[in-house]
Amino acid sequence: MPDLTSNQAVVSWHAPAKRGIRAASGLPALTIAFSLVGIGGLARDIGYPMLAGALSSALIWAGPAQVLLFGGIAAGTALPVLAVAIFFSSIRFMPMVMSLLPLINVPRRPAWQLLLAAHLVAITNWAEGMRRLPGLPEQERYPYFMGFGLVVLASGTLATALGYYLIGALPLLLAAALLFTTPMFFAANLVATARRLEDWLPLVIAPVVVVLGALWGGSDYDIIIAGIIAGSIAYVARRWLRSAP
Amino acid sequence: MILDALWPYAVIVLCGFLPTEVWRVLGVLLGRGFDEQSEAVIFVRMVATGLVAAVVAKLLLSPIGALGVVPVGVRVGAVVCGIAIMLGARRSILAGLLAGEIVLVAAAWMVGRGGA
Repeated sequence: MPDLTSNQAVVSWHAPAKRGIRAASGLPALTIAFSLVGIGGLARDIGYPMLAGALSSALIWAGPAQVLLFGGIAAGTALPVLAVAIFFSSIRFMPMVMSLLPLINVPRRPAWQLLLAAHLVAITNWAEGMRRLPGLPEQERYPYFMGFGLVVLASGTLATALGYYLIGALPLLLAAALLFTTPMFFAANLVATARRLEDWLPLVIAPVVVVLGALWGGSDYDIIIAGIIAGSIAYVARRWLRSAP
Repeated sequence: MILDALWPYAVIVLCGFLPTEVWRVLGVLLGRGFDEQSEAVIFVRMVATGLVAAVVAKLLLSPIGALGVVPVGVRVGAVVCGIAIMLGARRSILAGLLAGEIVLVAAAWMVGRGGA
């Protein structure tokens, strides 16, 4: 038996990082590319430069927040209102980071490394991390996650830039199909991850509120208010359904 | 104007990056000890889901740009088909996305031909 313990303090990060990069370079990178390619089209449609669209993916790294931001600007919503809406829509990242942290903070890592890893947390990286990391040796988890997560982030950022140019170069119908990837992806994603009553109710109620809002207020009603109303009705409905016999 | 050129970046950092990143940083700082099943957390999560679902519905019903040339019935029908395929394909989001796209393009093409 070779003595492994003496090597463990200087375990190379190359090999696990490479394994993470390889694992991400397939379906995960492809899925994120499809989810963000339409964001580039949204950014272009509101008159933003390509770099701003791509930067939104690398920095915000939250598809729903980007949809809220660009979709809200397109709908004429005031920026402070959008900032508050995005603030609330991104709350989910806190429990996501908290649940991932114990997996990568072994052996204990400096805060800046954890903050870098936390920035990569969005639905794809988080779900894959929670699934893959427990099966890895502890000291390999952080480099594996960073390799995996950075590939997914890079793929999403490149796809956003690509979508920006494609939207102008494609024939009208294909440009429409490209813009359609965003609502289609998030509709499928919301339904696919819905498990409990609290996940389903807002999905059913929100489109109804939006349709009623459009019928009642025309294009003047605020989409953010519609979402908050829908979520609140859903919450009340959930309490009511759970207390009913 | 240089300020006009920098405006989109300022919007992305101030209205998008900071409001999102603050929760990731808090997640690192607070570590564990957070009840995911408390009523306040459930309420916030439901409102967040409602917000995203409302924006998705808005993007479908009154889209910006080229998607507007596709009739609303085709857009909604394609999303419903995509979701049905996704559920049928063991909740594969990629399968649902591709199916929805195919339905959208095929139906819009046929409608366009019939109308022209």
